[in-house]
Amino acid sequence: MIEAEGLTKVYGDKTAVGGVSFTVQAGQVTGFLGPNGAGKSTTMRMIMGLDTPTAGTVTVNGVPFARHAAPLREIGALLDAKAVHTSRSAYNHLLAMAATHSIPRKRVHEVIDMTGLAEVARKKVKGFSLGMGQRLGIAAALLGDPQTIILDEPVNGLDPEGVVWVRNLVKYLASEGRTVFLSSHLMSEMALTADHLIVIGRGKIIADAPIKDIITGKGHSRTRVRSDQPDRLMHVLAGTGVSVELQDHELLEVTGLDPRQIARSALDNQVLIYELTPLQASLEEAYMELTKDEVEYHSLITTGAPVSAQSGGN
Amino acid sequence: MSTSTSTQPAAGPGRAAARNAANPGPGPSFFRVLNSEFIKFRTLLSTMILLASTAVVMVGFGALSAWGTGQFADQAASDPGAAEAIASQGGDLAVSVPTSGAAFAQLILGSLGVLLMSSEFTTGMARSTFAAVPKRLPAFIAKLVVVVVSAFVVTAVSTYVAGLVSVPILDNFGLKLDLASSQSVKLLLVTGGYVAAVAAIGMALGTLLRNSAGGIMALVGLFFVAPIAFQLIPGEFFEEARKYLPGNTITPLTAVEHVPDTLEVWQAALVLGAWVVVPVVLAMILLKKRDV
Ligand SMILES: Nc1ncnc2c1ncn2[C@@H]1O[C@H](COP(=O)(O)OP(=O)(O)O)[C@@H](O)[C@H]1O
Ligand SMILES: [Mg+2]
Repeated sequence: MIEAEGLTKVYGDKTAVGGVSFTVQAGQVTGFLGPNGAGKSTTMRMIMGLDTPTAGTVTVNGVPFARHAAPLREIGALLDAKAVHTSRSAYNHLLAMAATHSIPRKRVHEVIDMTGLAEVARKKVKGFSLGMGQRLGIAAALLGDPQTIILDEPVNGLDPEGVVWVRNLVKYLASEGRTVFLSSHLMSEMALTADHLIVIGRGKIIADAPIKDIITGKGHSRTRVRSDQPDRLMHVLAGTGVSVELQDHELLEVTGLDPRQIARSALDNQVLIYELTPLQASLEEAYMELTKDEVEYHSLITTGAPVSAQSGGN
Repeated sequence: MSTSTSTQPAAGPGRAAARNAANPGPGPSFFRVLNSEFIKFRTLLSTMILLASTAVVMVGFGALSAWGTGQFADQAASDPGAAEAIASQGGDLAVSVPTSGAAFAQLILGSLGVLLMSSEFTTGMARSTFAAVPKRLPAFIAKLVVVVVSAFVVTAVSTYVAGLVSVPILDNFGLKLDLASSQSVKLLLVTGGYVAAVAAIGMALGTLLRNSAGGIMALVGLFFVAPIAFQLIPGEFFEEARKYLPGNTITPLTAVEHVPDTLEVWQAALVLGAWVVVPVVLAMILLKKRDV
C-alpha cells in the first residue's frame, strides 16, 4: 500500500506536484493517469526517495521508502527516464543491483527470462531499443520480488506484443496480492489495464475512483435534451456543477445532472421535453473532460499522440 | 520461499502473500553495497581501459626515464642545475625513476574518479543505485573505497613493474637501482597513496558537479593549471599559496631531505589530507541532500 499525504514538490518557482493525497491499495492495478508534465514521474520519484518532497509525506506499507531494511525487496520501480549505465550489459546491471541485497544469481536469470531479454542480456544496453530498455527496467523492478511495484509509463516504446505482455504482467502481479501502481498519459491504455484510476493534472488530483466509475462518467454525465422551451429549461436547470449548452434550435446538452433529475425539474416547472438521451462518455472523452481545465499541453491531448519528448529534466 | 516457475511472470503464485512481512530478506549492508560497487567497477570496459593505460604509461615512462636519467648522469658532473635535482633524492638519481610517470597516473586515475560518479548521474544509473541504497552514503563510501583501493594498487603495481623494467636500463649507464631500498619502498607507497588521494578528490568533484567534462576540467585546473598560474602571477601571496596546492605536496612527501620552498612533510600530509577530506565531506553532505 502506498499512501501520500499532502505530497508537494516545487522546483524553483514551478510546482510540479501540488499537495496530492491518495492511497494505492494492494491487490489491484492502480493507474496514474495524466497528460505529460502533470507530475506523475515526480510523484513516483518521491515515492522512491529519489526526490525529497517540498512538503507532505509518502509511505510504502506505512514506512517511508528509505527506512525499509531491504528496499528492493519491498518496492521495485521502473522510472520514466532510463536508469542504467548504457556501457554495461543488462546482465551485469542486474547482477550489480542484485548484489546490494544478496539476491541470488538465479533470480537475475529468472527476471531476464521473464522479461524476454535472454538473447540480449550480455549485450551493452547502449544498443537496446526503447522497448528492450523498458523490459530491462521491468526486470530490475521485479528483481527483489517486491510486494509493491511502480511502473512509470511502462508501455512507452513497446511493440504491441510487449504492450499486451505488460498488461497481463501487471494484472497477474496484482492478482497475487501485490500493490501495482502504473502511470500513463493514455486513457485507452489505462482502461484496459487498471482497476482503479488516479487522475492527475498540473500537479493536482482530479479524480480518484474505480475505473468503471470514471468510464461511466459518474458526476460528469451528459444528457441530450430536446424541448420546445429551451431558454426556460436552461434557466430552470442552471445550478452549481451544472452546465447547459444550447446546441441547436430546441436542442440542449446538459452536464452534471442525470436524466431523472432533468425530467423532475422539467415536470416541476411544466416544461415539455420530447427527447431525453443519456450520452455515454467514451473513456477518451471522460479523460478530456476531467483534464480539460488542467491540461498543460493542449496539443498533446487533442492529437492524442504518445509524445515522448519530455518537457523538463525528469 | 516457494518454488518458482519461469513461465509465470512473477516467481510463483502466492509468494508475495506468503512472504514474511517483518523480515523480507537481506538488505543493503555495507559489505553487499561494496560488492555491488565492485561489480559495477569491473563490468565497465572504459574503467578497465583507463586502468590498463595507467599501467602502460607508468611502465613506459619509467623505462624512458631510466634511459634519460642515464644520459643525464653523464652530464651531471658538468651541469650545476642537474646536481640540485639530484640532491632532493639524497644524491640518488635512479630511485625516483619508477615513479616518473606518476603525474600521468594522477591525471588518468583522477579522471577515473570523476567519471565513476559523474556517469552515474549522466546515464541515470544513479536512480537505480540510490533506489537500491536509499541512505545513499553507503553507496558513496563503497564507491570511494573501490576508487581509492584500485588507484593505489594500480599505481603501486605499475611503479614496481616500471622499476623492474628500469633496473637493467640503468645498469647500462652504471647506475644502481635497488627496488627493496627503504627510499624505493617509500616512493612506491607514498606515490600510490598520493594518486589514490587524487582519485578521491576526482570522485568528490564528480559527485559535486555531476558532469564528466566539468569534473575533469576542475581536476586538471587544480592539479595542472593552478600550479603554473600561481607561479606566473607575481606576488608573495601566490608564491606562498602555491605550496598548499594539492599537486605540490608530493615533492615534500617523497623527498629524502627537506626541499626549499616546499612544505614540511607533516604539513604536506595535513594539507593533502584536507584537500581530500573537505571535498569528500562536502560531496557526501550534498549527495544526501540533493535530489537524484
Ligand atoms: N528536476 C526538475 N527540475 C525542474 N522541473 C522539473 C523537474 N522534474 C520535473 N519538472 C517539471 O515538473 C512538471 C511535472 O513533471 P513530471 O513529473 O515529469 O510530469 P509527468 O511525468 O506527468 O509527465 C513538469 O512541468 C516538469 O517540467
Ligand atoms: Mg513522466
